[in-house]
Amino acid sequence: MIERLLSILPHRRGPASIVPEKSVAGRTLLLMITIMSFLSAVTLGGVVLVQKSAIAWSADVGREVTIQIRPVAGEVMESNLRTAVSLAQSTPGVAAARALTIEESQKLLEPWLGTGLDLTAIEIPRLVVVQLTDPADADIEGLTRNLQAIKGASLDTHAVWRQQLNTMAGAIVFSGLMVLALIGVATVLAIIFATRGAMSTNREIVDVLHYIGASNKFIAGEFQGRFLSIGLQGGLLGALAALLFFALIGAAAGNMLSSEAGAQVGVLFGRFALGIDGLIGIAAVVPVIAALTAITSRVTVRRFLAETS
Amino acid sequence: MIEFSDVGLRYGNGPEILRDLTFSIEPGSFHFLTGPSGAGKTSLLRLLLLSLKPSRGRVTMFGEDVSDLTQDRLLQMRRHIGIVFQEFRLLDHLTTFENVALPLRVLGQPESEYRPNVTELLEWVGLGERMNALPSLLSGGEKQRAAIARAVIARPKVLLADEPTGNVDPELSSRLVHLFAELNRTLGMTIILATHELPLLDQFNYPRMLLSKGELVIHD
Repeated sequence: MIERLLSILPHRRGPASIVPEKSVAGRTLLLMITIMSFLSAVTLGGVVLVQKSAIAWSADVGREVTIQIRPVAGEVMESNLRTAVSLAQSTPGVAAARALTIEESQKLLEPWLGTGLDLTAIEIPRLVVVQLTDPADADIEGLTRNLQAIKGASLDTHAVWRQQLNTMAGAIVFSGLMVLALIGVATVLAIIFATRGAMSTNREIVDVLHYIGASNKFIAGEFQGRFLSIGLQGGLLGALAALLFFALIGAAAGNMLSSEAGAQVGVLFGRFALGIDGLIGIAAVVPVIAALTAITSRVTVRRFLAETS
Repeated sequence: MIEFSDVGLRYGNGPEILRDLTFSIEPGSFHFLTGPSGAGKTSLLRLLLLSLKPSRGRVTMFGEDVSDLTQDRLLQMRRHIGIVFQEFRLLDHLTTFENVALPLRVLGQPESEYRPNVTELLEWVGLGERMNALPSLLSGGEKQRAAIARAVIARPKVLLADEPTGNVDPELSSRLVHLFAELNRTLGMTIILATHELPLLDQFNYPRMLLSKGELVIHD
């Protein structure tokens, strides 16, 4: 199966490779690079997903502000609610404003107080949900100022919450990039060991090439060509596996969870849709891994030859 | 073409393997290098192949002192020297054709350019029908003829052979030396053939260099 898959991947044309194509070291390196490419692509895809979800979340939350009116002795709540709605609607940049009904407000407390409680005897804070046309143009300061006329009223722009979300998303993105860098370092180290192993295994070939007048540059080029081919194949297999992984996770999230839970997961992770930027990122893993493999092996071979000749 | 003057060779701090070698090799000549095992034949061939530097004395090849050659110049000079080993040293994963073409690939020639020459040479050494065979499918004699073809395909000025008949029967040994003689006669290649098979030496009237305990005792 793997052999058949590899046969359709790019191969060098022309004379046979001077460095044997099928060797234990080559197969091990191919497997290792496939795994590293898969991990890189999955990490990169995860970073893109988190960043996209955080941006979408932040934008959604930013388009809504909430006026909270606490019960104050001597104040009529319904009257204050109407005033607050009116003030909000007259504020530039506001698309709509609506006071939550008493039932809706009580429902918001159910997660903390449980269901079936009669809350009519308790005066609870009431909320006015304000939708903004454009968060940048909305006169939030003006609305805050005007709301001072209503006792017990305050405006929540969710700024703190959004900042926490952005910080968390930034931390995840940074961690992902650190993981990518570590995978890169691990890949380079593995290639160095694999190259030195391949050089030792093929010592006879190196000696013969030297005897027939091959320069170190020529020999390094031959090994680099072989490793570039392995890097391309491994990178491509890893990237394809990562795409399959995201497709499977997306399908699982969509089908295996109940519609409500699926919707919640969708809100959190954007339904695992990588988008064009995610796909470009994963596709970029292939040439980057191939180049990393080729350059690392060339430098290692040149050093090995310099040490031994 | 090749001049050795009071040349000595030692590996590291060990004893001298070769001592006080003084001789010259004329262009187009054929020499047998002989002597018992351990006499230093392979070490002398390695000096001639420029894969070792003498510990003392002076080696001149193609008119240049080899002791202070740059890496690039050394490489260029090595391309004028062909080598045939006792154990053939063909690359097992390459066909006979690809093995023989290797020195031309190293020189950067495209296959379209070298294919006719390699094919012609393989036919000349009697391997025209075996050019697509891997070394594992060749007999000892065929492997050695392939190794000789590889050594001469780039038309070196000097051809060195280290016990090239060591792994073949006496009849084939004689035919292989005839092949070397033919190369010497037709292409004017300078040939130094190391062997310890005295009956073989008696069949051919070529000058002998006899090494004993690292010293050249006969050079006629």
